[in-house]
Amino acid sequence: MTRLSGVSPAELRPGEDAIERFERELGAVQATFARSTPETLARRIVEALREVGARHVGLTADLGGGRRALVEALRAADIEAVHYEAAAPSRDALRAMDATVTGCVAAVAATGSIITGERAGRAGALIAPTHLCVVERERLLDGLSQALRVIAGSGSSMLALQSGPSRTADIEKTLIMGMHGPKAAHVVLLDGRLDEA
Amino acid sequence: MMSEPIVCFPTCLVDLVGRRLADDVNTVLGAVGFSPIVASGATCCGQPAFNAGHHAQARRVARRTLRRLGDTEGPIVVPSGSCTAMMRRHWVELFHGDRDEILAAAVAKRVREFSEVVDERRRRLSAFEPRLNAVAGYHDSCHMLRELGIIDQPRRLLGYVDGLEVRPLASGERCCGFGGAFSLRYPEVSVAMADDKLADVRESGVDLLVSSDPGCLMQLGSRADRRGDPLRVLHVASVLAEAGVGR
Amino acid sequence: MSRSDDPLVGTGFRDRSRAQLGQPFLRQAIPRATDHTIAALHDRFADVDVAALRERGRRIRAETIRDLDAHLETLVAAFERNGITVHRAADAEAARGRIRSICSAAGARRVVKVKSMATEEIRLNPALAADGLEVVETDLGEYVVHLDDDRPSHIIAPIIHKTRQEVRQSLSRVAGRELPDDTAELTGFARGQLRDAFLSADVGISGANFGVAESGTVVLLTNEGNGRMCTSLPRVHIALMGIERVLPTLDDLAVMLPLLAGSGTGQLLTSYVSMISGPRREGEPDGPEEMHVVLLDNGRRALLGGPFEEALHCIRCGACQNVCPVYRQVGGHAYGWVYGGPIGAVLTPLFRGFDDGGELPQASTLCGACDDICPVKIPLHDLLLKLRRVGGGRAATRRERAAATFWAFLWSSGVGYRASIAVGRLGLTLARVLPARLRRGPVLARWAAGRGLPGRGGRP
Ligand code: SF4
Repeated sequence: MTRLSGVSPAELRPGEDAIERFERELGAVQATFARSTPETLARRIVEALREVGARHVGLTADLGGGRRALVEALRAADIEAVHYEAAAPSRDALRAMDATVTGCVAAVAATGSIITGERAGRAGALIAPTHLCVVERERLLDGLSQALRVIAGSGSSMLALQSGPSRTADIEKTLIMGMHGPKAAHVVLLDGRLDEA
Repeated sequence: MMSEPIVCFPTCLVDLVGRRLADDVNTVLGAVGFSPIVASGATCCGQPAFNAGHHAQARRVARRTLRRLGDTEGPIVVPSGSCTAMMRRHWVELFHGDRDEILAAAVAKRVREFSEVVDERRRRLSAFEPRLNAVAGYHDSCHMLRELGIIDQPRRLLGYVDGLEVRPLASGERCCGFGGAFSLRYPEVSVAMADDKLADVRESGVDLLVSSDPGCLMQLGSRADRRGDPLRVLHVASVLAEAGVGR
Repeated sequence: MSRSDDPLVGTGFRDRSRAQLGQPFLRQAIPRATDHTIAALHDRFADVDVAALRERGRRIRAETIRDLDAHLETLVAAFERNGITVHRAADAEAARGRIRSICSAAGARRVVKVKSMATEEIRLNPALAADGLEVVETDLGEYVVHLDDDRPSHIIAPIIHKTRQEVRQSLSRVAGRELPDDTAELTGFARGQLRDAFLSADVGISGANFGVAESGTVVLLTNEGNGRMCTSLPRVHIALMGIERVLPTLDDLAVMLPLLAGSGTGQLLTSYVSMISGPRREGEPDGPEEMHVVLLDNGRRALLGGPFEEALHCIRCGACQNVCPVYRQVGGHAYGWVYGGPIGAVLTPLFRGFDDGGELPQASTLCGACDDICPVKIPLHDLLLKLRRVGGGRAATRRERAAATFWAFLWSSGVGYRASIAVGRLGLTLARVLPARLRRGPVLARWAAGRGLPGRGGRP
């Protein structure tokens, strides 16, 4: 239980289950939620990317040891998979990406947010129409205050909280997804570690 | 039953446009066992000038009222939410550091809004079997609502009237657009605000709009009047008097 | 800023508000949008102790502002440690000058911008355009405002005053063809345009919702994600930050983020929260090579320690606009400058002076709804009252004060009071029987424009 519990809506309430809340809040911000084990991760991701018809996918360095397996699985499924940092210097390569897959520094259960750092690229999570984020179970934190405390010491040059896809309601209050960032945001909670994938 | 004297400060607006309302207030106070004594020589609480930012002028007028009221004893009944707020909350500020500071604080504590006073003796209302057939909505005066927190009392009083159905208004807490000098400074905006309120009143199927502030009553009543709206706009005291309280 | 290059629009609140009242769409759209947002706000805070949260928010802001210079010093040191170049700008002109020279040093041709009230405040876009830069606003609403050479009318929802048809026309002009009448299509078109802008811009300019002193971080909130695009893709990032936007710690941020998002849009958190602590470092995949923060004073420092210091607590959530019954009728443009609603009526005279904005504190009924909603409990009602007192020096109020003095003379005596009440009653009676053209008195005429005469039947 966090410091602002019961006071701030961005914290878990006493006794609340983090995963249940995370799933609910992700739904509330129009993100999708799935769970996976390290063994099934690659298959899950391939399926999700196929469903949106992604052809060019960038994978970011914060996937760590799990990235290699994912790249292989994607290529085997005939999806062009590139390392985000290799593609980033080319505007054309960025433009061509129709999905990105990132890890995260942390995730916040109470707000349905993921937090990415500079290893995911400042623009990695929102350059493409579809974003898929892998959250290792141990990175899921209860509430915002805890998350900010954890990242306070990280010395990162950039951290970004994102809760669901990009949106706008500027035109007559009609909610539209995907204004600038992704139209679809998928979160996969991994029961295990990425380097086991 | 012995009736208990109570000081009544009708306020300038009531003096100007509400002589019958003053009678209604006296009638209802009498019915619940008070004998109201109109504070002689009290004129105005100074609110118009205070709200416009002219403190010296406000103090000059308020001082007269303050001193006249200071000569009396016991609770002071005021049939206006905003004047009550002015006297209870802002006099202390207006007379801060003034020779009448202590008096202002003492009088402020005695000031009571009409429905608060009547509410404490509300059981006596039943004796009159008050009755009025209407669908009513209650409009909160902003200052009474937010500065004094007097919300339930007037509604409770209306609950004693048979035949009166009180419906909640969707815009219940929204300002009517009077705002004192605002209503003259920006008449178009002020009227548009009244229309907003009246549209909601109409939608709620209300034919009697009740409030506790002569300013709001004047604003909404005059606008309804001009639009040829059959809506009646009355003070809580007038509703009770019409329903037969004190007869 | 010299007044002449940025006059308040129109001659006064009355004229400006009359123009707004004549727009049927506005009269529908604002209530619809603001009611929706306020309902979402109440839902958002329904099951927490929101009073305690607001009190924490108030305390954080009050303590920070009280000791602003110390916190700024920490912030600047942390920014510099993080490789951010810090500039201080005393006024709008200085801020524009700084930003212009950073752009020219970077050899910039194209600039992308994130919606920022501070950049509106200093009228940055025309200055950059005059230097031959192509400026692209990337918030959808602000993009349309910019295309139309208009001004935003709400802190959070800049085109609350525009219909979809108007937006369609503006975007169709850019497209050179008639775009379909469909919000998703219009948005999609803008996305394409703006994506090109992000990818080709040399400089990204943003505001700063907060600057966190402990970590030297610029915090930027957007729902569209344009905040992050503008600060990630171009070579140079410039953040214009009002000096009052400092927060001492990340713990404070944990309080302010949900307060701001909940009060502004009813969200738990704004969709994208960027916490930027410096330019791209060695080995990082992307990000700007240079990062600058321009600290904007522009009238803020003068408020420290004075009766209006609390105005600096504002976090620009827009909730006070959303509940304001006057704003509801007239929208933001009636206030004449960049900030509308209660906080606009407070900030405009303070930042622009009383000659320009001194009337605005009068444009309120003092209903107090704003006090009740403000996430950091700024006593707006009280500030408006205090401003009315100070504003007494204006020419218009000098006449009014003379009237008030005469009134006070009459009403402080029993005879004077009774006589004026008698005259007033007589006047009302006469007005009722006289033909309309004879009811001329200025007070009565203003009342009677749209309202019947009060006091019929002896009731107000
Ligand atoms: S004054 Fe308060 S309610 Fe208004 S914008 Fe500022 S923080 Fe929000």
